[in-house]
Amino acid sequence: MGETVPSPRLLDALAAHARGRPDQVALIRGEQQVTYRQLAGVAEDLCGVLNSLGLDRRQPLCVPAHKTPATIALLIGAVRAGYAVLAPSPELGSTARAALAAQARCSRVLTVDDQGVLATAPVVPDEQAARDFDAVDPATAPLLLTTSGSTGTPKIVPIPGDAFDRFADWATGRFRLTQKDTLLSYAPLNFDLSLLDVWTPLWLGAQVVLVEQEFSADARHLQELVTRHKVTFVQGVPMLHRLLTQDGAIHPAVRTVIFTGDALPQALLRQLGTAFPHAGFHNVFGCTETNDSFIYDADPAEAGERIPIGRPLPGVRALLLDDEGQVLHGPGTGELLVSTPFQTSGYLQRSRNEGVFVPAPDGGDEVFYRTGDLVTRDADGLYWLKGRTDFQVKVRGVRTNMQEVENVLAAHPDVAEAAVVAIPDPEAGYRLHAQVTRRPGTSLTSLRLRLHSAERLPRHAIPSSVHVGDAPLPRTSTGKPDRNLIKSARQKENRA
Amino acid sequence: MTSLVDEIRGYIVAEFLDGEDTAELTSDFDLINSGVVDSLGVVRIVSHISRTYSIPTDDIPLTPDGFRSIGAISAFVENATKTAA
Repeated sequence: MGETVPSPRLLDALAAHARGRPDQVALIRGEQQVTYRQLAGVAEDLCGVLNSLGLDRRQPLCVPAHKTPATIALLIGAVRAGYAVLAPSPELGSTARAALAAQARCSRVLTVDDQGVLATAPVVPDEQAARDFDAVDPATAPLLLTTSGSTGTPKIVPIPGDAFDRFADWATGRFRLTQKDTLLSYAPLNFDLSLLDVWTPLWLGAQVVLVEQEFSADARHLQELVTRHKVTFVQGVPMLHRLLTQDGAIHPAVRTVIFTGDALPQALLRQLGTAFPHAGFHNVFGCTETNDSFIYDADPAEAGERIPIGRPLPGVRALLLDDEGQVLHGPGTGELLVSTPFQTSGYLQRSRNEGVFVPAPDGGDEVFYRTGDLVTRDADGLYWLKGRTDFQVKVRGVRTNMQEVENVLAAHPDVAEAAVVAIPDPEAGYRLHAQVTRRPGTSLTSLRLRLHSAERLPRHAIPSSVHVGDAPLPRTSTGKPDRNLIKSARQKENRA
Repeated sequence: MTSLVDEIRGYIVAEFLDGEDTAELTSDFDLINSGVVDSLGVVRIVSHISRTYSIPTDDIPLTPDGFRSIGAISAFVENATKTAA
C-alpha cells in the first residue's frame, strides 16, 4: 500500500480509477475538465519532482489550498511521495502562513500553476515557534487542515488517514454516493467540508465541480454550474442555498442537499423544497476537529421555526455537560462533548489540547472533544443547537444567548438574515446590537422587528439597537456573517 | 403640546433610535415593551427631562409606566411644568 491523500486507501483508489475509467472526468473548474488519467498523471509527475528534491520526509510540505485541479494533484503527489501536507487557506497573509509553516516545521511552501509547473519557496525554520508542536507523522496523518481562525491564529488539525477512510465509508453509504454522482464543492479546499465534497468523490471515482472563490457570491454563475454539469449533490452554508434558489431557480437533477455551518432559516428550507424537487435534505453538524457528528433529515413541508441538528451519527458518542461539569441524562441543555470515529488525535500544538480533548466524562475509553456548543436534548432524544457557550453574554446581569435572539429575528417573515452582536457597555455590561437584512420588496422597519421580538423574547434580550437594511450582511471567507466586522462598525458609530 | 411632543420625540430618536427608521414611531408606541428604553434608559430620560424642563428629580417617579411612550412622557412633563408654574 502506498500512501494517499488524505489516506493510503485513497491513493490506491485513484490509481485504479486512472486505469479502469481513465476518461471519466474527475474535476471541473471553469472551462477546465480533468480526467482521472490526467489527474493521476500530473500527480505522478509532481511526485517525481518532489522525490528528486530530496527533502526530509519528517518535515511536512506547506501547500496553500488553492481550489484548482493542479493543487489537488500536488496534494496527491506530495502524499504519494511520502510527505505530510499542511494545507492552509490561500487567503492567509504571508506572515500568518509563515508562522503556521514554522510551527509545523514545514520544509517548503509549494504552489503549482495550471500547467503543473511547481514553484517552491523556503520556510525559515524557527524552533522557538515550533517548540510546543508535535512532529508530524506522514504515515498516520498525511493531511493537516487548519481551523478557520476567525478568533486568532489558525489551529493545525492533523486528519488521520484511517479517520478519513471511516468518514468516506459513512458518507458514501448515508448519501448513496456512486461514480455517477457529480458533487458541487463550494467551501474552500482547506475546509473540512472538502473531505466530503472533494476527497470522498475522488476516492469513489465520481465527478467534482470546483466553485472558484471569485464566483462564490454570483448566484447566476452558481446556478449555471449546477445546471450545466448536472450536479447531483450540493453541500454548503445557508448563503450557498440562498444563492442557488434565488430568482425561482429549479434544479431537478440534484438528489442530495446538505446544509451546514450555520442555522438555516425556516423560510429558506421551504424555498429549498421548491428549488430541489427531487432532493433529500440534511442538516449536517460537525467541525474540523471531529468532522461530522450529527445529522437531521429535514422535510421542507414539515419544517418548524427551527431545525434540529438531529441525532449522533453511527459510532458517535455525544454527551451534554451542565454548568457544574456533570453529565446530563435525559432532556436538558449543556455543552456538547462528542467522540467520533472521524476525529483528529488532537491539535498539533500540545498545550491547546488540554481541557479541549478530554477523557470520557462518564468513564468510557474514548477521547471526547469539548465543542463549546450549547445544545439541548429534548424528550425524544433529538438535539438542538442553542448557540455557542461563548455566545452567552450578560445583559443587565441576565445571561443572554445571542444565538437565540438571532433565531427569533430570523423567524420574522420579512427577514432574509440577521446577526446579533454584544457591544460592551459600561452600564449594562453588554448591549445587544442587531444587523438585519430584509427580504427584497419588503419594507420591514426596526420598530416592527422590535415588536416582533417583544412578543418572543424576554425584555433584556431585545437588542438595544436594530439596524435594518437591504444590503447583505458582511461575510467571512467561509460564508458566515462577519460578526466581528458588524461589532466593530457599530462600536465606531457609537464613538462618533 | 405639539411642540413638546416633537421635542420629546426628537430626544428619544437621537438618544435611543439613532440610525433607525422611525417613520412609524407614533406617540403611543410602547418604548418599554419594545426594548427601545430599558431600566437604565428610564434613568437617562428622567435626568434629561429634569435638566431640560427644570423638574426636580425628586418629583419624578421612577416607574416605567410614566415613560412608556412619547405621549406619556410629554403628558408628564406638561403636568409637572404646569404644577410648578
